[in-house]
Amino acid sequence: MSTREGADDQLELMQGTLDMLILQTLAFGRAHGHAIACSIERRSDEVLQVGHGSLYPALQRLLKLGMIAAEDGVSENNRRARFYRLTAKGRRRLSAEASKWQKLSRAIARILSPPAEENS
Amino acid sequence: MFRWTRRRNLLLQEFETHIAMETQENIDAGMTPEEAQHAARKKFGNVLLAAERSRAIWGGIWIERLLQDLRYALRGLIGAPGYTVTLLCTLMLGLGCVTTMLAMVDSILVRPLALPHADELVQLYGEDRAEGTSASPRALSYRVFDELRRGTHAFAGVSGYNTMIRPVTAPDGTRITLLTEVTQDFFPVLEIHAKLGSLISTAGTERGVDVSYEFWQERLHGDPHAVGSSIKIGDETRTVIGVLPLGFHVPQGTGAPVVYLPIHVNASGEDDFKIESALVIARLRRDVSEEQGLADAQRVFSYVDRKYGEQYRHLRIRSYRELVVGDLQRPLFALLGGVGVLLLIACANAANLQIGRAASRMPEMATRLALGASFARLLQQLVTESVLVSVAGAVLGGGLSYAAIALVRHAYGHEYARFDELALHPIVLCCAGALAIAVGIAASLAPLLTIRRQTAGRSNAKNVTRRSRLPGMLVALQVALTCVLLAVSGLFVRTLQALENVRLGFDPHGVTTLVLMPEKQNQDPDLSRNIETRLLERFATLPGVQSATMQTEVPFSNYNVALNGTTEVDGRAFHQGDSAFYSMVSTNFVQTSGIRLLRGRGFQAADETSSSIGVLVNEAFVKSFLDQREPVGSTLRFHRNPGDKDDDLPFLQPMTVIGVVENEIQGNDLGAPFEPMVYLDYRQLPAGSLLGMVFSMAAQYAVRSSLPPATLASELRSAIQKEAPSMVEMSLRPMEEGVAQSLGERRLALRLVSGFGLVALVLSAVGIYGVLAYSVALRRREIGIRMALGSTRSKAAGLVMQQAGIMALLGLAPGVAAAWAAGAAVRSFLYGVKAFDPLTAGAVGGTMLLVIAAAAAFPAMRAAQVNPVETLRAE
Repeated sequence: MSTREGADDQLELMQGTLDMLILQTLAFGRAHGHAIACSIERRSDEVLQVGHGSLYPALQRLLKLGMIAAEDGVSENNRRARFYRLTAKGRRRLSAEASKWQKLSRAIARILSPPAEENS
Repeated sequence: MFRWTRRRNLLLQEFETHIAMETQENIDAGMTPEEAQHAARKKFGNVLLAAERSRAIWGGIWIERLLQDLRYALRGLIGAPGYTVTLLCTLMLGLGCVTTMLAMVDSILVRPLALPHADELVQLYGEDRAEGTSASPRALSYRVFDELRRGTHAFAGVSGYNTMIRPVTAPDGTRITLLTEVTQDFFPVLEIHAKLGSLISTAGTERGVDVSYEFWQERLHGDPHAVGSSIKIGDETRTVIGVLPLGFHVPQGTGAPVVYLPIHVNASGEDDFKIESALVIARLRRDVSEEQGLADAQRVFSYVDRKYGEQYRHLRIRSYRELVVGDLQRPLFALLGGVGVLLLIACANAANLQIGRAASRMPEMATRLALGASFARLLQQLVTESVLVSVAGAVLGGGLSYAAIALVRHAYGHEYARFDELALHPIVLCCAGALAIAVGIAASLAPLLTIRRQTAGRSNAKNVTRRSRLPGMLVALQVALTCVLLAVSGLFVRTLQALENVRLGFDPHGVTTLVLMPEKQNQDPDLSRNIETRLLERFATLPGVQSATMQTEVPFSNYNVALNGTTEVDGRAFHQGDSAFYSMVSTNFVQTSGIRLLRGRGFQAADETSSSIGVLVNEAFVKSFLDQREPVGSTLRFHRNPGDKDDDLPFLQPMTVIGVVENEIQGNDLGAPFEPMVYLDYRQLPAGSLLGMVFSMAAQYAVRSSLPPATLASELRSAIQKEAPSMVEMSLRPMEEGVAQSLGERRLALRLVSGFGLVALVLSAVGIYGVLAYSVALRRREIGIRMALGSTRSKAAGLVMQQAGIMALLGLAPGVAAAWAAGAAVRSFLYGVKAFDPLTAGAVGGTMLLVIAAAAAFPAMRAAQVNPVETLRAE
């Protein structure tokens, strides 16, 4: 049981990051679940450590929030698949979140950098 | 729901596509198809968990889960019919009993009386100074009533009434009927309007009567033209001017037919009896509290010119609701406590049954956890199942209590106040439902703990005999609670026995009592007395009759007139509150009643002409007034209070004690203490004495005969028919019937409590059996191995019996202590037995041990039949 509870915690922590990553991936155009998973995996394998399966609850949540939309389509290998794309709302959210993250990371970087540099 | 299923299927399809793509990539990377498939699945993770988590995001999952759980629970329960039926019956009994008692408490005590603004209605009553705490309703005189009506400001209205029983002739014949004489303000104060016709209120209605809805239905056949028709009260013809609405049960609170007639008050403000007979109901002004109302009434009461006993009384106030149902409050709450205990027992049983079932489902639980079900999810499922069963139990119990309520209403509707209003109201059903859910959750907590412990542990439950202490504790609790119920019923049984063995002081065997009333209410007292004496002589000469007497106070009669007189004894200083009851009897009293003469002699025919008035006194009188003195020959007289005129005393002549008789039961309660009593031969009463009046109200005869009661009854009736057709028979029954009837209320209580005790006993037996049977099933391996190692069958059985014995002891010890406490709580209902009765305790303990032994015998036998070879083979 202890391992599963740990997974829950991790998911909680990573949820926001995962959402951001999905939105970011979809910013380049529509994609199906597998493609999103692969893209995220390439960028950060930490988040999807528990498996590609945990991508789907996040997709469902974003769908419900209206950040993304789903449509049926055909994959590059001629396979019927479900494609996700960013909505206008999702795009706005992505840019807002991105600038927030950038601000935050700049601030963190400033705090963590040695004071001597700040003086120079 | 279907939408969700479709969506879930689409999602699962999407997962499969995902995995297929991954597999394809793996194959492209050079893996074998199997490896590729395996790797892809591994990378994806738990498919069902992902589906479940996604599903959770869509919302409404709890409904789906609940439905899922319900479906699953139903299937599981149907799969285990023995378990389900036992559990259902347990909960049905527990919840049914509680629902019934809740409905009674709700209908009788909680529900507002069916009168407009009933909370403003109060009763004003007089209370003896001596017994300050008693709340027995004491009537006021109509004079005082009238002063209260005119002099107080705190009340919106003050009304008076008194009740009596008279023969009433309606189209369906003559029957003894309850009459209520009311003042003109009565109905206006109660803010009641007629269903038909008009109500007694203003001038011009002096000859009219109103009838209750029940009277209209039962005696006038619900005739819509009943208003204007005539009924006869005694020999007087009265016109029905109105019918009261359904549910108007003032003042008795019962649904008996009642005729209301205007009270006749003479010019000096007294009613026909010239004694205190007005019961007062008043309506407080909206902004006035009970205390303020009482203070205002007391102000008036203090300056009114009062007579007789009234001058020594205090004025008191209480709510009208208390007047109607005050007496029922304590017994009802006691019974509610009893069923509460029963519900606890049922709940413990349910918990034990579920622990057993949960344990047998442990492998299933472990599998589900391993497959990714969260503990909370399992918890929800178990609780759902438990609540489902207990709600089903509540529904069945509700049906049970509906039947029980209907039965009680039918059987006691006319007897006890508000019992005719008994009903299962929605609020009670809601309470029962909430209780059922609480019981369901509580009963599933114990198995949940077991599951949590066992699944959290690493040990494999299959190979270890795990024993939880919880079921044993629950059984001990059951045993203890059952002890309480059994002990209380035991005390009630002993009370009834004690009452049945009370020295009656007279011999009821072969005595028939007869109550007659003159048809004409205001008949001249002397004429009544003549007729009654003639009848008495006639009865005494009937063949087969040994003797006959008249008595104003007959034990167990409902027609007794209690005459309380302030009494002084010559040669003894008078103390405030010295009073005795006076009973008027005829010459043959001692012979007929079989009362034991302790000293002196009984009445003789020759006494009639003697100059002094001879009286008999009872032991209680001797104890209070003639202690350490020779009673026979003592002289008594009525005490004259300062300011009393001759007219105010029953008579002035002194009385001489001629004999002392044993205490005999007075009134209706076998357990009541004996009051000082003086017996007067009515023929020696001085002419014009107030006491002579008594005989114009009702004449009570006691006839001793060796004839069978039915024969004697017909002989007496034909004698009345011939000798005094103007007398109406109110009651005719063997006295032993009265003795039995007087125990009716206690019998009812005993029946209820011992019914609860019996149910508790059965539930406990089932509980013990269940726990032991389950424990034997669990310990089969252990027992098998023990046997293989040389233990005998009887030792195996002993193992089980020992376990039962420990549970019994754990339960009996606190049970006996709790029974003691419960005995103390119901002490006021007991007679002739102490709160802790060793005999009862012993009997209860013995019964419990027997039942436990019987319940344990079957599992013990099963343990003895364990085949060691089978166990070893399985090993």
